[in-house]
Amino acid sequence: MIQADRLTTRYDPKGPPVLREVSLEIPEGQYLAVIGPNGCGKTTLVKHFNALLVPQEGEVRVDGLSTKDPKAHREIRRRVGMVFQNPDNQIVGMSVEEDVAFGPGNLGLAPSEIRGRVGAALETVGMLRLAKRAPHSLSGGEKRLVAIAGVLAMRPAYLILDEPTSYLDPAGRERVLNVLWDLRREGISVIHVTHSMEEIAEADRVVVMSDGRILRDGAPRDVFREADVLRAVGLATPQVTELMGRLRDRGCGVRPDVLSVDEALREITALLGQATGGSR
Amino acid sequence: MKTLLLGQYVPGDSPVHRLDPRVKIVATLLASIVILNAGAAGSLAVTAFLLAATALAGLSAGRMMGALRPLAWFFALLFGLHLFFTDGRPIVAALPAVTWEGLWRGTAVTWQFVALVVSAAILTMTTDPSGLVGGFERLLRPLNRLGLPSHDLAVMVSVALRFVPTLLEEVERMREAQVARGADFGTGGPVRRLRKAASLVIPLILCTFRRADELALAMEGRGYHRGPRTYLHELRFTRADYAALLAVAGFLIGVEALRFLPL
Repeated sequence: MIQADRLTTRYDPKGPPVLREVSLEIPEGQYLAVIGPNGCGKTTLVKHFNALLVPQEGEVRVDGLSTKDPKAHREIRRRVGMVFQNPDNQIVGMSVEEDVAFGPGNLGLAPSEIRGRVGAALETVGMLRLAKRAPHSLSGGEKRLVAIAGVLAMRPAYLILDEPTSYLDPAGRERVLNVLWDLRREGISVIHVTHSMEEIAEADRVVVMSDGRILRDGAPRDVFREADVLRAVGLATPQVTELMGRLRDRGCGVRPDVLSVDEALREITALLGQATGGSR
Repeated sequence: MKTLLLGQYVPGDSPVHRLDPRVKIVATLLASIVILNAGAAGSLAVTAFLLAATALAGLSAGRMMGALRPLAWFFALLFGLHLFFTDGRPIVAALPAVTWEGLWRGTAVTWQFVALVVSAAILTMTTDPSGLVGGFERLLRPLNRLGLPSHDLAVMVSVALRFVPTLLEEVERMREAQVARGADFGTGGPVRRLRKAASLVIPLILCTFRRADELALAMEGRGYHRGPRTYLHELRFTRADYAALLAVAGFLIGVEALRFLPL
């Protein structure tokens, strides 16, 4: 479990805090989406989870280890992997497989063990085929997947991803999101930072941040139901949710907390069925 | 992208490609020593050795010329200087500066440099960069005790090599962004061009620092620390490597020893 307790952070000692008394508990195995407009403090928050930032006020514990203890940093970073926004700045190897081997090599594992981990991590992200390629010859989506594999090879219990789908085309985005779901199924906690509502409809939990505070914390369905709250901080609900909200405003009896196109289809066909007397 | 480095790696599966990088590095160093000391007989022996290695590595003459071509002016200058500025017997009476001794020395010195480049090119063309870095790292490992951090050096070099294409892309992007806003890099005298290039260098440096910052965080996040680490491909000597090392070292040391024989 990752526990943040009344975390307050300032980058500028005289300026306003970037985080204001944020408290949060993330149990193992949860798919948590952290969402908020630019500058709301979401990246700052998650950097505290693997001790890249150490709390100025408050405390963060990872499986009981306090990030304030420098001696615990190595262990914390092994448990909490982090994938940064720009994959170009985190790939260190001259080939895909060597990059994935960087983390296990730092752990001092035997070459046979490294080979096993590299194979497994590349398999998980579906990049085994490109193991020998040079990083700069890959597409944006592929680089992102290599960056994820590089962190997975450390066998983390928690995986933080900062805007993992930015700058990707729809196919690349789909691939990355599918990998995240596979990881969740394998029991890894996924902490997904984003400002796209569409991507997180299936998350176990959504934390909405605004101005350094947690504004809402709950299941996507409950969070999206309050479309006005989200709109007020500059976030848009998924288009289908928006559509259902508008239908409701017009007096249609649909649920306001629809998250997916399939659900919307079911609601609308049910509604049409009522209207035409159940003929269809 | 155009080839940047002399003797860029040519993927292949020749016996030379398959040799342990350490064997090739040691052989190249030995060959360099021999080349710099060789007399006429030694030169012929080393030439034969380099030609044989090139052929065995499956490297075409064209590729080898490709590695030498950028240095053609240097070779010509070197040869010309020796040809004209060595005292001795004139070849033609009308041109007293051009001497037989100059011709001989020019050929010998130019051959030395060509041979050095060829032997280095055989190494870099048959060894992928990570093999090269790994090989040097292993060879330098005994110096760890003297305070030379071979592991850290290896990480430094491989990160630098990894970022060469990325930074080139970045320069291209910045150039395009400036051209799109009316900058003109193609014309003007050398001074003007140099001044224009400066408008790329400063943003490039800033970008590189920003990248380095994030890279450092990412490396730390993946457990990087100074000191020993392990590798995906640990180099291991096979019987073929031992045999090749013995044969090559024996041959080159033999050629070197020739000089000391009273022939």
